[in-house]
Amino acid sequence: MDLLHNLALGLNTAATMQNLIYCFVGVFLGTFIGALPGVGPLAAVAMLLPVSFYLPPETALVMLAGVYYGAEYGGSIASILLNIPGTPSASVTCIDGYPMAQQGRAGVALFSTAMASMFGALFGVVVMVLLSPRLAEFALLFQPAEYFSVMVLGLVAASIVSTSGVVRGLMMVCLGILLGTIGVDVNSGETRFTGGIPQLRDGVSLVVVAMGLFGVSEVITSMRGTTQSYAGAGMIGRMFPNRDEWRRSFMPAVRGSAIGSFFGTLPGTGQTVASFVAYALEKRLNKRADQFGKGAIEGVVVPESANNAAAQTAFIPTLTLGIPGSTTMALMLGALMIHGITPGPRMISEHPELFWGLVVSFVFGNIFLLILNIPLIGLWVRLLRVPHYFLYPAVIVLICVGVYSISNSLTDIWATLAFGLVGYVLRLFRFEPAPMLIGFVLGPMMEEYFRRAMLLSRGDATVFFTRPGSAALLLVAILMLCATMLPWRRWLTAGLSRRRQA
Amino acid sequence: MNRKTFLATMAAIFATTALPAFAQDDWPERPVRILVSFPPGGSSDLVARLLAEKLSVSLGQQFVIENKPGAAGTVAAQALQQAQPDGYTLMLSNLTPFNVAPVRFPDTPYDPIADFDHITYVGTVHLGLFAAPSAEITDLDSLVNMARSQPGLLEYGSSGVGSWGHVIAEQFQDESGAELFHIPYKGSGPMRLDFMGGVVPTIFDAVPQNLPAVAEGTAIPLAVSAPERIASLPDVPTFIEAGYPIEAENWLGVSTPAGVPAAIKATLDAALTDAMALPEVQAQFDTWGLIREPKSNEAFSSYVQDQLTRWTPLVQAATQ
Repeated sequence: MDLLHNLALGLNTAATMQNLIYCFVGVFLGTFIGALPGVGPLAAVAMLLPVSFYLPPETALVMLAGVYYGAEYGGSIASILLNIPGTPSASVTCIDGYPMAQQGRAGVALFSTAMASMFGALFGVVVMVLLSPRLAEFALLFQPAEYFSVMVLGLVAASIVSTSGVVRGLMMVCLGILLGTIGVDVNSGETRFTGGIPQLRDGVSLVVVAMGLFGVSEVITSMRGTTQSYAGAGMIGRMFPNRDEWRRSFMPAVRGSAIGSFFGTLPGTGQTVASFVAYALEKRLNKRADQFGKGAIEGVVVPESANNAAAQTAFIPTLTLGIPGSTTMALMLGALMIHGITPGPRMISEHPELFWGLVVSFVFGNIFLLILNIPLIGLWVRLLRVPHYFLYPAVIVLICVGVYSISNSLTDIWATLAFGLVGYVLRLFRFEPAPMLIGFVLGPMMEEYFRRAMLLSRGDATVFFTRPGSAALLLVAILMLCATMLPWRRWLTAGLSRRRQA
Repeated sequence: MNRKTFLATMAAIFATTALPAFAQDDWPERPVRILVSFPPGGSSDLVARLLAEKLSVSLGQQFVIENKPGAAGTVAAQALQQAQPDGYTLMLSNLTPFNVAPVRFPDTPYDPIADFDHITYVGTVHLGLFAAPSAEITDLDSLVNMARSQPGLLEYGSSGVGSWGHVIAEQFQDESGAELFHIPYKGSGPMRLDFMGGVVPTIFDAVPQNLPAVAEGTAIPLAVSAPERIASLPDVPTFIEAGYPIEAENWLGVSTPAGVPAAIKATLDAALTDAMALPEVQAQFDTWGLIREPKSNEAFSSYVQDQLTRWTPLVQAATQ
């Protein structure tokens, strides 16, 4: 059978000593880099790209890919422990992960993150193996109208995710969208809201916004001592979830992985949307929705399984079409181009050992991640005992290094600190940064796809409803919003709890 | 390795890239920076990295790539303009920041000719016009006929307003009387995705990255913007053959701030020329579709000037 033959070929490539070692090196570096606030997978892959000059192409790709998904996992560590997401897609994990750490359940949170990540990643790999050619065709079926509707769904999801209420969530989403309008307008080529500053022509950098709003503002908040009690923090406590927690985590992990696998295949939307949408849907579906935001284990499992599944399936459009879905993916294609391999639709048939080797290495890499990280959990949790006057300055330094490394710009560092102040003021008024971040990420894309769809239809707005894919996505978004806004839900839950008491 | 050791290592890595500057005669005596106006991973970045590696070997000092993407390459060019003309800051220069952006953004704070020394010409890629098989366009004539009989019905994609694809597409419409409908994208990647998905039937895009799709049969090349037919697409006519005086080159070169000592320029030019003569570099350039021709230092300087003169009215016409 073709599939078995391909997998055997992949195993041949992935299981050589050299590739296993580089795979391990990749996920090891990735975890650490992802755990550092500000230094994301992009910076890490860029730093390691020169090394790939001296490695065979499949080894280079296995290592760089390891850094990439390792960082996706590592990004959750700082979210849980410090409330500072290491990567933007980990910002959802803060919502329940950080309360868990404050309740002294950091060990459980980190362990379930590790398990959920592996589950999500392996789910994504299976989807990839079974469906890879189909998925590429599927990604191509998505036209501007569908992308627009996906963005709408993502934004609705983001406002529901907020623990301070849908209205406040929507306000922050809108603020994020407004911030995203800064820069050159795609359709007219005119600059908008740049104040004549050339650096703003490309808009405000995502890392600057994310690190300012989450990282710097968290440090300021904790300096003022306004964060809630640290009573439980620093206790290692138990690490393994109890039976009830295992049971409660399973279905959310399956749903998170499925949603993540879906969004991963769409170039450009990726992990961040996947984790927000998965969390929002789970919050609608889960019986324990009232616990979300207060340290529910499902609230950690869902986004982590989703963003790790998405991290794996994101390789599909990149490798099967040769078109990178993100800057990090562009770097990985660069590693192949250094070796004279041209990314494109023929790559899988011309270099099957490379594609299937990479896929099989994902399995090894994710197992390595688990083996590597379970012993480290105790160490990470002990980090919380480091006095804050050491820890927080170190965090600030790291954020500055990370932000600077993206485009070697000092202006970016000042901008990050400014966003830190903005984020702090917002927090004082109980506005959360997560919906603002996703508004900032998705808003400009939504506008771009909306206007492109309108250009293609020559101004006919009905395309969003007449194309079945787009209509279905918009319907889900409307249902999600109604389910939150309408009062029947409150009656229902009230009724249920009354019955339970009785 | 604990967190602190790791942090210390990271700090050390970043500290070494920021050593203070000393002017010296025996260039290069310390690492040289090469600014690249694109994020890592693209073909220009790879060209810079390949050359940096060869220069590090032949000149005995590290040549370090510094990616400064943004604002159509003007961020990197401005950083080059402000750097000391001591030979320790170079840039992999290209069409956009030196010939297109200064016209499109009149507040660009540098003069693309007077503020720089353009040292060595590296090579060029050309622009191609491609059609999707579903559009049922087989050659340039059928496209022109279709676009004349149904003006504005046929869409074309470009990598952005004011990008070279857009500028040349406008020139093509002026010359041929064909009327196309512009769909701008943010860069070439998303455009090619929509092209493969059948959303835009035609695109104006750099040739090399579309060659796999041409081989696969999912992109039909209609014309290229080279002066003569190119080796990678020998059967495809040039715009000039088809009767439209359209030529476009996205050139790559190495430039420095104005005022670098002549001895340093000569050393750099010679080292770059030697590096580009290496068989492995030539082979690599071939697979990336980079077309080379020898150009002396003077010829390259006047080439950049000529290109600016040629692009200025075209860019103004396309973006008003």
